[in-house]
Amino acid sequence: MSGAASTPYTRQEMMAIATGREIRDGELAIFGVGLSMLAGFFAQAHHAPNVRAMTEGGVYGSTPVGGLPWGIECNRISTNATSFTSALDALGCLVGSGRCDVGIIGAAQVDKYGNVNTTGIWDGEIGERFRTPKTRLTGAGGANDIACGAKRYLIMVAHEPKRFVDKVTYISSPGYLEGGDARARHGFVGGGPAAIVTTLGILRPDPRTKEFELDAWFAFSSVEEIKASTGWNLKVSARAHPAAEPAASELAALRKVDETGALRRQ
Amino acid sequence: MPPLKLMSLPEAVRRYSWDGMQYASGAALPIGSDAVVFGRELLRQKRKDLHAIFHCNSQQLNLLVGAGAATRAECGFTGLEVFGFANGLRRAVESGQLALEDYSNLAMPLRLLGGALNWPFVPATVNIGSDLQDRSAFAPEEFPSRSKIAAVTDPFSGRQIGAFRPLKPDLAAIHVTLADPFGNAIMLGTEWSRFELSRAAKRVVIVADAIVDGGCIRQFPNLVRIPELVVEAVVYWPFAAWPQSSPGMYDVDEEHMKLMNKALATPEGTADYVREFVASYGTLESYLDMIGRDRLMQLGSTATGFLLDPYRQWIMSAAEVARLQGGEAQ
Repeated sequence: MSGAASTPYTRQEMMAIATGREIRDGELAIFGVGLSMLAGFFAQAHHAPNVRAMTEGGVYGSTPVGGLPWGIECNRISTNATSFTSALDALGCLVGSGRCDVGIIGAAQVDKYGNVNTTGIWDGEIGERFRTPKTRLTGAGGANDIACGAKRYLIMVAHEPKRFVDKVTYISSPGYLEGGDARARHGFVGGGPAAIVTTLGILRPDPRTKEFELDAWFAFSSVEEIKASTGWNLKVSARAHPAAEPAASELAALRKVDETGALRRQ
Repeated sequence: MPPLKLMSLPEAVRRYSWDGMQYASGAALPIGSDAVVFGRELLRQKRKDLHAIFHCNSQQLNLLVGAGAATRAECGFTGLEVFGFANGLRRAVESGQLALEDYSNLAMPLRLLGGALNWPFVPATVNIGSDLQDRSAFAPEEFPSRSKIAAVTDPFSGRQIGAFRPLKPDLAAIHVTLADPFGNAIMLGTEWSRFELSRAAKRVVIVADAIVDGGCIRQFPNLVRIPELVVEAVVYWPFAAWPQSSPGMYDVDEEHMKLMNKALATPEGTADYVREFVASYGTLESYLDMIGRDRLMQLGSTATGFLLDPYRQWIMSAAEVARLQGGEAQ
């Protein structure tokens, strides 16, 4: 069923390329470890050579060497840096302050207003009294700070019904909360999620209601497959269209960044 | 001339830690720099009921929590990045053995900065409007919680923002690349939050991969972000962050990261791990033997080695360090 059978690229690669296309040249950008970093450094290698990339640890000016880093402070991202500072600097002075143009975060669960849960999976609602989750996940990390402070951010997530829920049980990183102008009432510095890029397509928020709608599907996917893989009644935007397949130059640039083939194994 | 502060690891743990204390790690995220060996020694000396202040989880917190030594924790991120979920911590949270208070990776250094500056609170424009603010594991009956991150009004604009509670841990064990015998310390790689932590903690113990002559410190004073005047003791311990990495010194031990995390997934595995990799060594030499001399060579041939080049001429031999440390037993 994987796109790999019918296309010369994997679904993960398409997701990384579609995410990278959202990054513009010259932007101040923050990438996390894994998929986020691959998508970001793909953009830098392909169409955004002057993107100013940082990690939340305060590693500046570097690109991964020797394979996908094990972590955002891994030696693989510390071999050609131009500056090492701190979390207070990167996440605070450059992201929480509102200076950062774009960030890329992941999600275990995301809902129709782009709220992200990376904290835990509960058996139903948490209820009035806080209780421990059935399955503990990683917590918010720097994603909450990016979600609160970056001018815009992108969410990368595998498109499965269990991940696309009507309302997340726990908001680790705020999207548009209850939709509409809810976000504005909280005094966040940043603008909110611009897109949810998945393994099947791209969702974008309605400008007024802030509910995420289907904006584009990938060549190996379809509107029907995406609706069936979404846990809420997904609306299809009037502008919905097929996303362009990866150009040869895009695939070449991505595979140079993903030198150990992490995206091709999945 | 300030006093020499070199001290053995067992002595530093004996002198500066106690059951029930607020213990903070000076680390650089889950894969990087951290005084993991200090956590091993806390377990060897049977410290318990620790309240852990960890900007990020590391294998140290995973181990302390997995082995039941920490019962409360405040953290910004609790995974192991590409190595996955932290199994020891995960098991303790899911079973209710650990009360884990969640923040973000900016909230923790802001709270440490607040402690360092002795501020009453720190204004917050992150963590607000989400369940990081509304839910508290330390006050589970509060919903929405306002004792964890309070709501305050910005006196200038009139808008509602959050207020973080400052942190002043009883002890911070801070891992650094280089320190002189007085406690002046240089960190290679991201500081993460070790600068703020060194000023927020009531006591600081430096755990250094290498000890350098004071001449090194005078050559690079701009890089000495932790000066001796906030440091109680200096522990010399090569590969102190193992199996994590130390830029300029050694790479992450991928195999042991996985082995350790797999072991911490069960109580039996944790007991085996403690027997084999915590209780098994007596001295620094036997600790290095436990990792394996071939493995040390391999981890030490890091592509970041050039970062250490400007400092190599001042690095003291183990024998010189032992001489300065005097007759104190390791």
